Amino acid sequence: MADYKYEEKEKYDGTKVKVLSDTFEPGPTEVKKEKIAWRGRLMDRGWKMRYLQSAERYWFSNSWYGSEKRKNPA
Amino acid sequence: MAEARPVSVDEATLEAYEKAKADGVETVFDRAARIKPCPIGAAGSCCKNCGMGPCRVPAPKNREETPEEKAKRTGVCGATAETIAARNFARMVAAGASAHSDHARGVALTFLEAAKGKLKDFTVKDEQKLYQLAMDLDIEIEDKETQQVAIEVGKKCVAEFGKQEGEGLFIKRAPLKRQEIWRNLDIVPRGVDREIVEMMHRTHIGVDQDYENILMHAARTSLADGWGGSMISTELQDVMFGTPEPVAGKVNLGILKKDEVNIIIHGHEPLLPEMMVIASQEPEMLKYAESKGAKGINLGGLCCSANEVLMRHGIPVAGNFLQQELAITTGAVELMTVDVQCQMESLYQVSTCYHTKLITTDRRAKIEGAQHIQFDEENGLQVARDILKMAIDNFAKRDQSKVVIPDQTQEMVVGFSHETINYLLGGMFRASYRPLNDNIINGRIRGVAGVVGCNNARVQHNANFLAMIKELIKNDVIVLTTGCSSMAAGEAGLMTPEAALEFAGDGLRSVCEAVGIPPVLHMGSCVDNSRILMAATAMVKDGGLGDDISDLPAAGAAPEWMSEKAISIGEYFVASGVYTVFSATWPTTNSKAVTDYLFEKYEDSLKGMWGFEADPVKAAQMMIAHIDKKRKELGIDKARERILYDMEKRRELDAA
Repeated sequence: MADYKYEEKEKYDGTKVKVLSDTFEPGPTEVKKEKIAWRGRLMDRGWKMRYLQSAERYWFSNSWYGSEKRKNPA
Repeated sequence: MAEARPVSVDEATLEAYEKAKADGVETVFDRAARIKPCPIGAAGSCCKNCGMGPCRVPAPKNREETPEEKAKRTGVCGATAETIAARNFARMVAAGASAHSDHARGVALTFLEAAKGKLKDFTVKDEQKLYQLAMDLDIEIEDKETQQVAIEVGKKCVAEFGKQEGEGLFIKRAPLKRQEIWRNLDIVPRGVDREIVEMMHRTHIGVDQDYENILMHAARTSLADGWGGSMISTELQDVMFGTPEPVAGKVNLGILKKDEVNIIIHGHEPLLPEMMVIASQEPEMLKYAESKGAKGINLGGLCCSANEVLMRHGIPVAGNFLQQELAITTGAVELMTVDVQCQMESLYQVSTCYHTKLITTDRRAKIEGAQHIQFDEENGLQVARDILKMAIDNFAKRDQSKVVIPDQTQEMVVGFSHETINYLLGGMFRASYRPLNDNIINGRIRGVAGVVGCNNARVQHNANFLAMIKELIKNDVIVLTTGCSSMAAGEAGLMTPEAALEFAGDGLRSVCEAVGIPPVLHMGSCVDNSRILMAATAMVKDGGLGDDISDLPAAGAAPEWMSEKAISIGEYFVASGVYTVFSATWPTTNSKAVTDYLFEKYEDSLKGMWGFEADPVKAAQMMIAHIDKKRKELGIDKARERILYDMEKRRELDAA
């Protein structure tokens, strides 16, 4: 917390308030060398199947709405 | 006298080309200047399908032909200019489809053997993708062992190639309306091989002589590629090697290292490259390299083998198709392996000017003079180790005085598979294309463009890609790329999130900033164009943008195409409902009827059509005009007035 910077701004009624300033570091973001290995978070078959039924629901789930299964058919 | 146009817009390429010239090495750029394309063949007006020909049937230049002239424009067998142009085009589709699909067959056979436990070096790396595939193929998963599921998936995929009747199993992934269009036209592909063989039969002398009939089967053949061979290849490679996830990589000739053993993996298949990645990281191998005076082993890629290991491991890429000879002319490459597709025969000649060893690794693709080491799936890792050792042993022969490596490299973020886009936009608990669709509907993103394909030495290297892509993203069109197009975009720095700040229009930039993605997404190798089909289908299914791929504000392009594979890719995009614009050259210009059929009448049946425009910026504008047309048809071309409904208005609504 000690590293946070604050700046003084004026409130709508003219009183001065201290607000939190930028919390990001200046300059270009350092490119992370490691992968964003999101698929590794799905540990077992049950998780994987549940994810497929949710993420790829238009192919593998019966409970979804989209262009091909509308709440109010055209 | 006008100054000659530089051969490339890429500084590293120009620098390496100057070195090649200074070394007295002839490259593709020199040959393109020396050999002019045959104008009769280029227009599709030469038939060499029988021993009575070749018959040349060129149209008169710069004027309309008379009916009498038109009637005389036939081959010895009587085949008209229309039949000849359609046959030539269709054979290009068949050849392209066969290239992707023979690649896929090799992957499928390897996968099946691996599933049976016969290949110790290949395993199921992505179980989730295996289950996804099993469900697509109607395989019950239940409590079966993973290995059993893999065997059943492998058998079904292998059977897809020789299937004689019925429908390709991946067809049902497409939007329902699209499937209906294909069924009504009777162009749902059966087995991959069957469609390709039938295409070759139909275009034999004296068989199909109705150009419209030939071109509809060309569509069917291409679908056997896009929704068949290419898709099988992508999916099984994902199961064996992992579905791509975002990873940082580097591209351009500057990835070569002066003090390390440089090995280039070139071609299209990922089997050997995957083994090379593992072997190159083994401590024994690194020690061996050090014992020979090198500071390490530097693996780099070219063409689509590069895309495969870049997307999965972040292995750097030396360049695209037109940079393959130049990688060797740096003088810093100890060894180059080539497997199949897009590898120039001249590589051997170029390699003899330096110490580079050129190794062919596939029995289907040998090069006279090159050393052949057959890649053997049963001993994949050992073959990779043997090749690496050869490269390390060759390091001592490098003449450092001949080495000039261009400085240029560019960081990029890659790995945008359909699955990863879905995850990035929605998260783990509600992965979705909804944010993309919403931003298209609200107009921040104008549309989606797939810019893919090869380099062509007849146009300035990478120039068409960059001009087109920059025009598209400037106009808020998000760009999906594969193959050599990806490397062109990567080399120009368009595949970093920061590129959105510099090159994208305000709307696209705001979305890229919010999600943290580049305005140009790398989706993989040329077989991975099937990932673009899946992304388009996901957009349709998510809703709000019509019921079919042809309803989407989307277009495709290959502004520097040269291979038959590109024609097959373009054809399956058109047959899937996408307006697809090619630049560089067009192979049916000799027949107005055939060209009109591809450019206009295809839309009546397939709801997608071809286009051609040599100028890449004008081609981009044609794509944007098509996107705008689709936005208008969807009713999302204008911002709608937002009305805050009070209770009285709500009651009125309920009453109605």
